[in-house]
Amino acid sequence: MNILISYDWLKEYVELKESPETFAARVSLSGPGIERLYPQGALLDKVVVGQINEIKPHPNAEKLRLATVNAGKKFTLVCGGSNLEVNQWVAVALVGAKVRWHGEGELIELAPAEIRGVKSEGMICGANEIGLFDAFPHAEREILDLGKAIPEAKWKPGMPLAQALGLSSDTVMDIEVTSNRPDAMSLVGLAREASAILSRPFLWKPAPKIRISPAAAAKSNFKIDVKDKKLCPRFTAVKIEGVSAGPSPWWMKRRLLSAGIRPINALVDITNYVMLELSEPMHVYDAEKLEGDRLVIRTAKPGESIQALDGKTYPLDESVLVVADVAKPVAVAGVMGGEITGVTSGTTSVVFEAATFDPVSVRRTARALNLYSDAQLRFEKGLSIEAPIYALARAVELCLELCGGSVSSFVQDSSKEKYVPKKERIRFDEISALMGVPVAKKQASDILTRLGFNVHSAGRVLTASVPWWRDHDIESGRDLVEEIARVFGYGQIPARFPPGLAHQPPSQMITWEERLKTLAVGAGLTEVYSYSFTSADLQRKAGFDPDRMLRVQNELSSDFVYMRTSLLPSLLQIVSENQERFHQQELFEIAHVYFHSEKTDLPDERSQFSAVYCGYDDGWKRAKGFAEHLFQEFGIRHVEWRRLEDDLFWHPGRTAQAFVNGFLLATVGELHPRIAEAFKFEGKVALIDSPLREIAALATTKKTYEPIPPFPEAKRDLAFTVNREIDVQQLTAAMKKMEPTLRQVDWFDTYKGEGIPADKKSVAFHLTFGSPDRTLETREVDASLEKMRALLKDQFGAMIRV
Amino acid sequence: MELADKLQALALDASEALKKAADMDAITALEVRFLGRKGELTSLLRALVEIPSEERPKLGSLANEVKISIEQKILEARNRFGSAVLEAQLASEREDVTEPGIQPPSGHLHLLTQAIREITDIFARAGFVRTRYPEVEWDWYAFEALNMPADHPARDEWETFFMDAPTSKKWGKMILTPHATSGTARTLAEHKPPIRAINISKNYRRQIDITHVPMFHQFDGVYVDTGVSIAHLRGVLDYFAREFFGPDRKTRLRPFHFRFTEPSFEIDVSCGVCGGTGTLATGERCRTCKRGWLELGGAGMLHPNVLAAAGLNPEQYSGLAFGWGVERTYMMKEGMHLDDIRILYKNDLRFLQQF
Repeated sequence: MNILISYDWLKEYVELKESPETFAARVSLSGPGIERLYPQGALLDKVVVGQINEIKPHPNAEKLRLATVNAGKKFTLVCGGSNLEVNQWVAVALVGAKVRWHGEGELIELAPAEIRGVKSEGMICGANEIGLFDAFPHAEREILDLGKAIPEAKWKPGMPLAQALGLSSDTVMDIEVTSNRPDAMSLVGLAREASAILSRPFLWKPAPKIRISPAAAAKSNFKIDVKDKKLCPRFTAVKIEGVSAGPSPWWMKRRLLSAGIRPINALVDITNYVMLELSEPMHVYDAEKLEGDRLVIRTAKPGESIQALDGKTYPLDESVLVVADVAKPVAVAGVMGGEITGVTSGTTSVVFEAATFDPVSVRRTARALNLYSDAQLRFEKGLSIEAPIYALARAVELCLELCGGSVSSFVQDSSKEKYVPKKERIRFDEISALMGVPVAKKQASDILTRLGFNVHSAGRVLTASVPWWRDHDIESGRDLVEEIARVFGYGQIPARFPPGLAHQPPSQMITWEERLKTLAVGAGLTEVYSYSFTSADLQRKAGFDPDRMLRVQNELSSDFVYMRTSLLPSLLQIVSENQERFHQQELFEIAHVYFHSEKTDLPDERSQFSAVYCGYDDGWKRAKGFAEHLFQEFGIRHVEWRRLEDDLFWHPGRTAQAFVNGFLLATVGELHPRIAEAFKFEGKVALIDSPLREIAALATTKKTYEPIPPFPEAKRDLAFTVNREIDVQQLTAAMKKMEPTLRQVDWFDTYKGEGIPADKKSVAFHLTFGSPDRTLETREVDASLEKMRALLKDQFGAMIRV
Repeated sequence: MELADKLQALALDASEALKKAADMDAITALEVRFLGRKGELTSLLRALVEIPSEERPKLGSLANEVKISIEQKILEARNRFGSAVLEAQLASEREDVTEPGIQPPSGHLHLLTQAIREITDIFARAGFVRTRYPEVEWDWYAFEALNMPADHPARDEWETFFMDAPTSKKWGKMILTPHATSGTARTLAEHKPPIRAINISKNYRRQIDITHVPMFHQFDGVYVDTGVSIAHLRGVLDYFAREFFGPDRKTRLRPFHFRFTEPSFEIDVSCGVCGGTGTLATGERCRTCKRGWLELGGAGMLHPNVLAAAGLNPEQYSGLAFGWGVERTYMMKEGMHLDDIRILYKNDLRFLQQF
């Protein structure tokens, strides 16, 4: 969570001498990260304080007037402000100042202007034109009346406004505080960090104890009743009567604004101020609107609801902790107060609340109601039960100072248990071992002491009593090491490369996948990465059934829902998206596909290789060629190809599957024309789909040397016609059995068409004959060939052509 | 005419004829005519048998001289024509060598594969073995085993996708893993120290904008042994920064918070544009970095609870871990100029074919 902190304000709690830049650079390396600095003076550059001496009508415009202003020197300015008065203190933007016209649009640099024929070298500003509207709201067409806005201020003509407002020397820091450190999301918390990191005195003192006069004590009637101490381990409250709720003084407004909080009225501002100071959220109720003079902390009853301060009504149930009076909920505990009991400018009697709520409950409630607040963001991170009483005392101190009134009830305080500070232990040698650098005992103890720990060192062991504001994030002795190490300085720890080597064997699957990628790229394919989850539409378009797929419960959009069981639909989509610019595409992807597992186990995740060739008439042959190349390169032998003719995705006449020992290694072929039509493909689309678990199981880097034949081989070509249904694979296998001297059969051509009957095809092979122990004679080879011709005629009805 | 005279005449004839020869074919024809197996020289030599034996050596040697002289003339004639023919051939074969060459099949590895390979190689040299685990994962490995119990607010940072599947009593909800650290939890549970592994995985989070995609890649390194310290973490990170970004680059650690490490850090790498100074040579402020440093990712010393959840004794072992996004890291490389992460998953060939 990021917070905004005024550097000037911070100085109230810790002695700081460095510039904000130096402070940011140093503290970021040992504490919360200070991400950005916003110098405040720059915002109101060339805007000065002026006093109106004289007002005259504008000669040419009814709604405009000419004001003579003393802003260090005399200016005559054209002004349309409806509330102009003589002697009024106003904000004057001089030439070169940056203003936002009527509070809208971009900042514009002011230039000398002629308005309806009268020259004006500057302007009298409305609060919204110089970014001060949150501080000083006023009616439209009015200008900022500084005297009214800050009655307590002393003004001087020509004084830079930033200086007059106390902003010129301030810098607001944007700070990232990690979620385990809600204590540091505050001025005092950050001051503690700075004090420890920079070794500077910490100046904060708790507010004085709340006192009640004997007369008020006699009449004290306000009570609290905590029904659920598990969800509300600490609740404190006190009533103050006779308050007046005007606007806050400028110093408080300025500080709230620096933290990005809009001032409302002094009573509400006090609760926000205390939260910023101590990181303990508070609430203030209009005591006269609380029925029964009681606060009851309980879970909501069925059917109850509350109108929150955001104006919306929220239905409640038993899971929600509320603060109630005797009749109704008056706040969603730790999240937001109710509208009805909220304080207004007419409030004269209030109850301040400071409490601790169960972080998980606050978090669940906020999510269930979809209601979030600065208070809830802090509570859900876990706050100490010791914090409320400090906050309550501070709120009372500020209230008596700014709003008057007197304490009219005893402090009501309910605790689940007596607070016992946590103690954590660590051995000094563990600290040094984990940091990798020796740390002196005294240095370790000093750092923890500066951070507020109560340290006791005995022999090898350091025992630290955890300060209450750290009781949620310090969970073990290990956490103490972090405290010591960060303040010690990570930059002081040397970099050492760890000795030794790996002990795990590399993953075979990853190794083969990487080889396959190299192979595919070498063969001219381009790799794609597509999303693992897809839309139902895409799956259906490709002929897959999304209802059988694992799906995401809380999808981001309908495009990312179904965990794919195949990479093919995604590939088709990619081809289709690129089709307009690329008529020929060769793509591949390697990724997981996901199948429901049989038991209540994780899904079966399989690595898959898929590729697509688009725009080639012989695409299926290219696809098959790649698969054959893959088997060859991966040492996979004895592959049997079977025709696949009964699948709705694949072309029944142009698809084959590769098997080894009954395991499917690849499906290659052309896309079924019906699916091609759904995707509106212009050319032929062929695909490869290959499960890598099987490929990796059979792949091998093992090589066997086959001796080069010592005797010359004889080559012959053989061509014949057969029925079209007879496959080359069948013919090759048969021929190999026909003749022992036949070493190799290589298909090289198939011809269909003119000169061949319609139900026949002509196939042609290169044959290689050889013998391991002699050179075959021509007549022997010829005889073998003759024998084969006869057998082919016999077995396949072949008509020999050559 | 005496045989000697005939031989002399033959040499003269051959010389004259070769001088007049008009092309290579004519020379070849003359070669056959004078020196061929049935040529004029051979037929003259047949007469040698009729010559008295004492005169034969003299005539033999003359015949040989004649043969050599004709061969010489043929060679000269050939050279005369040869260089002209060769020159003509060379001239006719002149090509425009500025035309592009014929490309071998040129596929393209996706940028992510290239990034993952580069990262894998860098860590492999340092003894870190690449691992991979399920993407659809149990809540246990993604959160519980990493010291993040249910309802912990730290879980919010992970924007997790849940699967529409039954919850396991033992392992909790089924999710899409939001970080590669879940794989590290599995590595720790499945191996004995010393452990040195780098898990690179697909991760999923409910986010999409110019810097986020719902599916992305992370790597998560882990090293567990006795006596592992922050100094070792700094050593590993400096090594990576040098290898991946360049020899002049350094890292620094800043405090951060993760539930699975204690202490936890954010890692910055020194800026390559301004040399880590935050100021350019022109005196202007560097826009690439924040005061000389770029945020790289998270790291820390494994939390004792994480080691214990994996069945390792935290008293005996300590470990370091680090991890961050592959895409983001690659986008930070100098000269990459990638400004929208989503283009990596658009699969536009105009993009893919650039790499």
